[in-house]
Amino acid sequence: MSVFVTIFKKECLESWRQFSWFWVPIVFILLAIMDPLTTYYMPTLLDAVGGLPEGTIFEMPDVTAAEAMMMSLSQMSMFGVLIIILLTMGTIAGERKSGVAELILVKPVNHSLYITAKWLAKLILFLSAFFIAMLFSWYYINLLFGTITFTDWFYMMIFYSLWIGFVISLTIFYNTFSNKPGLVAAKTVGTLVIMSLFNSILFHRLLWFPNNLSAHIGQMLNEGSLSQDLWATAIILVLLNGLLLLFSFATFRKSTH
Amino acid sequence: MEQALELIKLLWPLILLQFILTIAALIAWYRTEETKGEKWVWLLIILFANTIGPILFFIIGRRDR
Repeated sequence: MSVFVTIFKKECLESWRQFSWFWVPIVFILLAIMDPLTTYYMPTLLDAVGGLPEGTIFEMPDVTAAEAMMMSLSQMSMFGVLIIILLTMGTIAGERKSGVAELILVKPVNHSLYITAKWLAKLILFLSAFFIAMLFSWYYINLLFGTITFTDWFYMMIFYSLWIGFVISLTIFYNTFSNKPGLVAAKTVGTLVIMSLFNSILFHRLLWFPNNLSAHIGQMLNEGSLSQDLWATAIILVLLNGLLLLFSFATFRKSTH
Repeated sequence: MEQALELIKLLWPLILLQFILTIAALIAWYRTEETKGEKWVWLLIILFANTIGPILFFIIGRRDR
């Protein structure tokens, strides 16, 4: 257990040294509040920029609070996820490249503990950043668009955290059999793109496909009730997370021997 | 002018966050001895590429060890 704590602490120290604890939350906040804010102030912005002929009338579609919340979430699932992948791509692959992994694993360190410690350190960093960012976005949306209850917000956070966990697990899984961080990132992004293509083709057939999580969350925010599809998707995501971690243990053990 | 002021009043959280991000990147830049590529180029990127510059520096600019 103490090995676990040591590796975990080392990971946290490393993200501290790289200023990740500082800039990731800020960037996530920017991502989360950018779209709702600019949407709300679009008329003022257009006014200030000018260049429109006199008497132009704009019909701005009314954005509901739930839609604004989904704007934040979709920014997170684009650029937020990209940042997560870029910061996780080297967590094992980079250590292998520089030889640090050999130094650690020459000692009697349990391979699964090594991976789990890394996974947990990343998860805590990104989930805290995500929570802070969505708190800001929740504050602004309640101020500008209308109420989203705390319960709805909280459920959204819990369910979406599963997707963030999934992205981290996937990146770490590709980490276990590669020593090129760039390749890890490419493989992860590729997998996510294929998943979303697959989902857009078969959307109506596979309601519980992981990529549908956001859609189900949006529905929950709109209707204020948890659908069975949301629960099912969430359970599938939890299982996928566990499976990916187990696969990571296996492939990592194989590739280091 | 009045409109510009109005706009700043509305969008100050974004501006403030971008400002903090730039300052953080500058401190990190100052404390980093080795960067990928010329160090002074990164300074220009941080200062003039809004938001994306500091992020790029944090992700790919710094060379560890």
